[in-house]
Amino acid sequence: MIRLEQITKSFNGNEVIHDLSLDVPAGKTVVLVGPSGCGKSTLLRLMVGLLWPDQGSIALFQKYLSRKNLEALRQQVGFVLQDGGLFPHMTAVQNMRLMADYLKYDPDKTDHRIAELCELTHISTDLLNRYPAELSGGQVQRIALMRALMLDPQILFLDEPLGALDPLNRVSLQEEMKSIFSQLGKTVVLVTHDMGEAAALADLIVIMKDGYLLQFDTLSNLSAHPADPFVTEFINAQRKPWQQLEDQIK
Amino acid sequence: MTTLRLYLYLAICFFTLAPAQAESGLEIRIGSKKFTESVILSEVITQHLQTNKISTVHRDQLGGTRLLWKALVQGELDIYPDYTGTIIYEILQGEKVTSDPEVKAALARHGVSITDPLGFNNTYALGIKPSTAAKYSLQSISDLRQYPELRFGFTNEFMDREDGWPSLRDHYQLPQTSVRGLDHDLAYKGLEAESIDLIDLYSTDAEIAYYQLAVLEDDKSYFPDYRAVILYRTDLLERVPLLQTYLDQLVGSISEAEMITMNSNVKLDGHSEAEVAQEFLNVKFNTLSKIEVSTRFDRLITTTKEHLFLVSLSLGAAILVAIPLGIWGAKNSTQGQIILSVVGIIQTIPSLALLVFMIPLLGIGGPPALVALFLYSLLPIVRNTLSGLTGLPIDVQESARALGLPPAARLKMIELPLAARSILAGIKTSAVINVGTATLGALIGAGGYGQPILTGIRLDDTGLILEGAIPAAILALLVQWSFDLAERTLLSPGIQTKQETSS
Repeated sequence: MIRLEQITKSFNGNEVIHDLSLDVPAGKTVVLVGPSGCGKSTLLRLMVGLLWPDQGSIALFQKYLSRKNLEALRQQVGFVLQDGGLFPHMTAVQNMRLMADYLKYDPDKTDHRIAELCELTHISTDLLNRYPAELSGGQVQRIALMRALMLDPQILFLDEPLGALDPLNRVSLQEEMKSIFSQLGKTVVLVTHDMGEAAALADLIVIMKDGYLLQFDTLSNLSAHPADPFVTEFINAQRKPWQQLEDQIK
Repeated sequence: MTTLRLYLYLAICFFTLAPAQAESGLEIRIGSKKFTESVILSEVITQHLQTNKISTVHRDQLGGTRLLWKALVQGELDIYPDYTGTIIYEILQGEKVTSDPEVKAALARHGVSITDPLGFNNTYALGIKPSTAAKYSLQSISDLRQYPELRFGFTNEFMDREDGWPSLRDHYQLPQTSVRGLDHDLAYKGLEAESIDLIDLYSTDAEIAYYQLAVLEDDKSYFPDYRAVILYRTDLLERVPLLQTYLDQLVGSISEAEMITMNSNVKLDGHSEAEVAQEFLNVKFNTLSKIEVSTRFDRLITTTKEHLFLVSLSLGAAILVAIPLGIWGAKNSTQGQIILSVVGIIQTIPSLALLVFMIPLLGIGGPPALVALFLYSLLPIVRNTLSGLTGLPIDVQESARALGLPPAARLKMIELPLAARSILAGIKTSAVINVGTATLGALIGAGGYGQPILTGIRLDDTGLILEGAIPAAILALLVQWSFDLAERTLLSPGIQTKQETSS
């Protein structure tokens, strides 16, 4: 579904992605995980054409990304940013309708789709006429998710979608997203630095470090057959505080 | 791109149509300089021609000699009064003419004719307070040599004329270094307040008697004659064959005493130049004409109309040009820097200089003022459009691109609405500055609130100054308020709420 072939990317002479290849299968949820600065967000932006690789090529739906087909391909994918990326001068529903109206879709069908998505994400229709500044962080992320799903894209990209939320909201939205992803059966690529989140959501996990792809596998295989000592280290590092806490309670 | 083309088209229309408006009408245009005697003389000429059924318009208080001369040669003006000394040493500077026939021939080469002197001689002189004269026992200009500490204040024109300060200094070997240029009408006040010790005078100034000033003797006969004459375009005689006869009727008709009285009637007794000129003509030519005296309210209506015209047209054009420039600059950072530098440099050109630069291109009156105001209005709008667009939050820019909106749609639906607050603020700044700067338009005959201010300064009439200054201040406030209101109604409530919660 998404194919990266020997991608290299530099910023101001610093190479941040090194000769990276990846094949994301259709219908799976793939989580890119790794410490800050490992290049996971850069990789996500390369997939949507927000950045261009210095070398290598990227294909979505078996079509190579080029400046010519960029807009058309983008309209077939959804993208959710850490802060939602909602347009502050538009209400929630205006944000959601923007592309459908721009592409002159039937307004009745759009209304129907909005109702459908409200049900899916458990958003009350009362919230739809609010501006982003009047919504909570969790609500903003739900609206952003609905906007991304509006045109029923085959691929959904999410960049730290839960990163800006408080722990309670994060857990509840994480569970909701898991159920949404499984209901929709879409190809999902999600970026996070939280191994727990990756474990909860992913069918497949990509572990990255310093611009290299260390391992691309299921969680159990990562645990059982780590390709690099860092994979184990990274998986365990996020377990450690919990174990210490549990030890103290005992 | 189509909108850009439309903007360019409108801008071109604006530049090409505006000068055309100035050339309409077949009235004979009479100019005057920015001092009372010149205004009175032009008013005398204007009314005298009107009595003889010639349609005229007096464009008064237009600035200095060079401006009037340029306007005359270029056909922006038909007639204006000047002085022989000024013509020889200032206008024909470098042509080394001295005798009357030489002057006539030199002027003829520019298509300009000259009448014989009107009578009085209004030469330059140096004046001091009697107390200063007594303290240093000063009687002649030569006496000044012993007191280098004396502070001089001269009209800006006198400062750099060929027959002005530099050669006066050389002629008398004067040692003074504290010499500054200032407005003639303010010079008297400076002298009175003793912030300067010596000023240049016109010998027919009413103030000499009023302030009881001591006039230093020109003991080395430096100052030439300044006999008042009338300059007019020679081609005018084709249009109005009798013109020369009418102008010759004024030759030799004004004595020095009569001129001082007329100056005094205007400057010290508060009569208008038109009234004084009319009274003079009635006595000289036994006519009984009566001029209409405009009321303060009439004047306010006229100046308000003129001012609003200047501000709205120049600002409107600036908006149409500056916003696309700002957008262009925001999309190409190198070009953005160039655009900002260019409009920034324009902003640093002194307004008076810019107005004078415009005269060869656009003549005098509305068009050069409009173009100058237009140029001054560009910077705040360009800068705020550019910074408003480049300062958008990165997540908003990314999500607009990731949605698959093409660049033009992103600009229209996302970027411009979000930058609107910044752009509106830029327009507001431009508008408020524009209202103030437009008062300078009066210097080149564009009218507006600057007109009463200019006259008020010249006549030392606070009431007149306020007649221009107060409406200008009120207009600036109204502009400010209306933009605040526009911000509230035009901007999306989404970005207004954000503003309130974050402040």
